[in-house]
Amino acid sequence: MGFSLSAAAAIIGVSILLAIEMIVSTTVPTFTEVHDSYDKLRDRSIEQIQTDINITNVETYVNGSNYDHNITVENTGSVSLVTGKFDILINGTSYNFECSKAYLYPESEAYFNVTNLAGSESKKLKIVTNNGISDYYEYTIP
Amino acid sequence: MGFSLTGTHIIYFIASVIIAGAVSGVFYAVVGNVTNSFSERGDRVQDQLDIEFKIINDPGNIPTKGNDYLFYLKNIGRVEIPTSNETFYIFIDGEIVVTANYNFSDSSIQPEELTTLYVDNSEISTGNLILRVVGPYDIEDEFVFTIP
Repeated sequence: MGFSLSAAAAIIGVSILLAIEMIVSTTVPTFTEVHDSYDKLRDRSIEQIQTDINITNVETYVNGSNYDHNITVENTGSVSLVTGKFDILINGTSYNFECSKAYLYPESEAYFNVTNLAGSESKKLKIVTNNGISDYYEYTIP
Repeated sequence: MGFSLTGTHIIYFIASVIIAGAVSGVFYAVVGNVTNSFSERGDRVQDQLDIEFKIINDPGNIPTKGNDYLFYLKNIGRVEIPTSNETFYIFIDGEIVVTANYNFSDSSIQPEELTTLYVDNSEISTGNLILRVVGPYDIEDEFVFTIP
């Protein structure tokens, strides 16, 4: 009777140990990954708060019957920005562009060129940074 | 008499091992199911935290192409977002847009990239409107715009 009880206790004990091992091996990585995602979310939010740009000037040059637009953007925030991940909307439409710098550091300026754009009317420009912060600028092609 | 006592012990032993094994098996299976569910829930929470997107249009200048209005969705989260009319639901002024009337230019958006959402112009009237885009795991963004 005593031996039977010991055997049963041993089986249940081993089962409990295996279950604890399973719980620990599953929950620890899950908590770590969720915590990592929270960290990244917090970092993204802080970066967005610290990101700011200012479109300081737009110059246009005649290119055949169209115009090239040279846009000056200053980083007025405190985060370095990847210019290749910016988006430029002119009168609401997204255009491809070239930029003078790969990174736009705080207190620095970069030049964005949008070439061969039709129309000489007034333009409303919107530039969106890689993390979704934007600035507007209105100008008229003379 | 002695043999029957030993036999009784053997029967007790076998019965206790069988019962303990059954209890252990059920316990182990239940713990396994709970930990699997916990892990899957953790994955979902992780995805909810990692997915973030934003409609970046100029609210006064919504571009058109053919019969569609174009809306730009930028992935400002941490992971690639699958874009289809099965993973995204679109609402204009609270009314759901039928899946046949919108589509995306890409099947997914990488972090910091842009995709274009095409919405059929039959779904959009003039005036001030609210576009609500609901993506995977109910992550959503709202955008107020004007069609002159």
